[in-house]
Amino acid sequence: MVGYILRRLLLLVPVLLGLSMLVFAIARLLPGDPVALAAGPNATAADVASVAREFGLDQPLVVQYWNYLTGLFRGDWGVSIFTRRPVAEDLAAYLPATLELVLAAMLLAIGLGIPLGLMAAVFRNKWPDFLARTVSLGAISMPRFFLGLVFQLLFAMWLGWLPLSGRFPLTEDPPPQITGMLTVDALLSGQFHAFGVALSYLALPAIAMCLSPLATIMRMMRASTIEVLQQDYVLTERALGLSQKLILFKYVLKNAISATLTVIGLYFGWLLGGTVLVETVFDWPGIGLYATQAVLTQDFMPIIGVTLCIGAIFVTVNLVVDMLYGLLNPKVRYQ
Amino acid sequence: MLTTTRRGVMAGGAALLAGMATGRDAQAQSRRILVMASNQDIPNFDPHVANGYSASMALRNTYDSLVGVAGNPPKPVPQLAQSWTISDDGREYTFKLDPAAKFHDGSPVNAEAVKYSFNRLLRLNRGNAWMIAGVVDQNSVEAIDATTVRIKLVTPFVPFLSVLPWVWIVNPAQVEANKGSDDGQAWLRSNLAGSGAFRLRRAEAGNLYEFERVADAWRKGGGNLTGAIWKITRETATQRLMVQRGEAQIAVDLTSEDMDSLKGRAGVNLVIEPEYRTFSMKMNTRHGPLQDANLRRAIACAFNYQGMLDVAGYAELMKGPFPESIDGFDKDLPVYRTDLARAKEYLAKSSTPNGGIKITVAHVSGLEQQRRWALVLLDSLRALNIELDIKPMIWPDMVSAARSPETTPDIFMVYQTANYGDPDNLAFAGYHSSRNGGWQNPTYANPEVDSLLTQARAESDAEKRRALYVRFQRVLMEDSPDIFGVLEKRKLAMRSNVQGFAFTPVASNAIDLFPLSLG
Repeated sequence: MVGYILRRLLLLVPVLLGLSMLVFAIARLLPGDPVALAAGPNATAADVASVAREFGLDQPLVVQYWNYLTGLFRGDWGVSIFTRRPVAEDLAAYLPATLELVLAAMLLAIGLGIPLGLMAAVFRNKWPDFLARTVSLGAISMPRFFLGLVFQLLFAMWLGWLPLSGRFPLTEDPPPQITGMLTVDALLSGQFHAFGVALSYLALPAIAMCLSPLATIMRMMRASTIEVLQQDYVLTERALGLSQKLILFKYVLKNAISATLTVIGLYFGWLLGGTVLVETVFDWPGIGLYATQAVLTQDFMPIIGVTLCIGAIFVTVNLVVDMLYGLLNPKVRYQ
Repeated sequence: MLTTTRRGVMAGGAALLAGMATGRDAQAQSRRILVMASNQDIPNFDPHVANGYSASMALRNTYDSLVGVAGNPPKPVPQLAQSWTISDDGREYTFKLDPAAKFHDGSPVNAEAVKYSFNRLLRLNRGNAWMIAGVVDQNSVEAIDATTVRIKLVTPFVPFLSVLPWVWIVNPAQVEANKGSDDGQAWLRSNLAGSGAFRLRRAEAGNLYEFERVADAWRKGGGNLTGAIWKITRETATQRLMVQRGEAQIAVDLTSEDMDSLKGRAGVNLVIEPEYRTFSMKMNTRHGPLQDANLRRAIACAFNYQGMLDVAGYAELMKGPFPESIDGFDKDLPVYRTDLARAKEYLAKSSTPNGGIKITVAHVSGLEQQRRWALVLLDSLRALNIELDIKPMIWPDMVSAARSPETTPDIFMVYQTANYGDPDNLAFAGYHSSRNGGWQNPTYANPEVDSLLTQARAESDAEKRRALYVRFQRVLMEDSPDIFGVLEKRKLAMRSNVQGFAFTPVASNAIDLFPLSLG
């Protein structure tokens, strides 16, 4: 098992190397002139050349890539040509907000999707099943940003239960930064009031984000549970007089969850890269907005930094999912 | 007997959370914190590197400059300099600094600090350096004594006082102590070395920036704000809702639709004022069919100006290259308006008398307004038998395309914002040939215009200067390098308890906090 994990971790290196090469080349080969843009509207040709020199953009592409790569090993992710801020600093500022949102959304999706899928399978073709399927179809069909706007209107504007946008009340000091995830930081520092407040801000964007994966997880779980429920060993267990609860939670769940785990891993990466609309609607200062801004201005270093960062998290999450297969199903062995 | 339902618990919990937040908000109100909703981040606080209106807002409140700007039309007003004199030849400015002026660390703002700041701005050649580049050099600023600064201009530049509000003075001791290998750029990116009435209390990149009033600030008076928050709010609809709910006191990026929906709302005031921000369609005068001045005039006459205005929201049609309230505006300038017969006359004189050509127009992708104007142009050009290819491009691609006449589209849509309230700003950047290859003036060049603009920069006699600009506008209209479009009005929404706001048509969204109060 340990050897397998180490091998998978080592495999991360060529994957990320390939990704960095690809993104680096694409970012540089795009048409457009971000250097002239960064130099400002009144820059002369000499000014533009000076900015290009300052950021090493006058060097051959291979040299630029080599400099970037060696910089990465020193923890230097490059500098934005527009803001002149180090990308590593920006990632540290923006990533925790996105991770908090995605983790909350995934927790909700998993926490609700798996039991609802099980329920729909057990009550197959009865009203709980129909209800769950109808709701999941609705959830998967509606765009997240639209749901976000509807939630804002309903819960913030009309009912006034939850905040409209942001992560924390503007005029209050947030909990001391430990992880950058406000709910986690509030708990770690024992500020339970702040935890409640941060949670109230997290609720609407997390719900808007979670509905699509929730629906998929529910449907996957329902399908695989129905399949497992038809296996001979389940029939045998029923014949032996085992209770429905025991059969379901001890024998069926573990076998049915494998396919859903794969979806969970994939969804995590998908949500990480697709938060921008929800972040925009709820003013959530996350990496999606940062990446979008960088793409629109062709700011090379942030584009590459965000891509590498999401790539690394995605691969790591899928490694964790692979580990979980083995924990849930003893038949799976790592070689 | 108490009964508890799950729904009741959930509603109660939510109400409790909302209540806690409201209670804190009330507490914040007693601290008089003004919240401004804006879609632009403040990624850099270095006063000699940063640019953009959000950075201008932060810097004008945390730093001071020799002179400020106020009024409509905008005029220079004393700030660090209590008074100033200008030599007869317009080349020498002598400023008398306010002896009370001090930096946040308590050290005095003296002439040496002014000299240091000018030289650092020139040395870095970033941010607002272009405003003084070629006008002053490293030897121009002289500290006569602790409170007297003399600036000798390399070349006469009449708008000099107009650019000074954007040249901020840093504390040399603090910058030198944190100089590093990059002239203090890394340190000043997130630290302040200023003397302004506010200092940075909290910075959360991409989210918010909180400013607090400096307790013993040297500048006395002003409003009653104890602090302010610049909240990054990307969606204009959210900005509108924040003002509507009282979560923000000012929203700076609202659309015309947002303003309409706020009209008549209790507790909300709307500021809709003409600003020095022009929109024009620049024609490629050096490559392709629009090199022909008659064809350009034909297009300018065929364009449906009313159609453009109809989709522009709060805006007015431009009557030449200048806004009406700027000094030098020629009120008798004969501007092109929709006149199909005249358009056809010009077309008949052109190298393509029957049309039958295809030209391109580029606009910034995602800017709906520009797309609509391109469609108005497409419709207008049909009358001349000219086909229009509409090319949405991302902004970096447009900047790149503007670098040579060969790659510049036939028509190029551009917003141009004045950074200082002088005709030189819009005229020089938009029409002087030295700016060819830049997006503000990709191709247009006329030696007479160059000469007029250069003379106007140096002409200290106001009447003579006005005459030069009038002549410039006439020549420009004859050349017809642009379809002069609209002046979009600045749209700000404010809670009615915001007091002390006075509109200035330069950088009006870079809110000056000093005079503001919350009632």
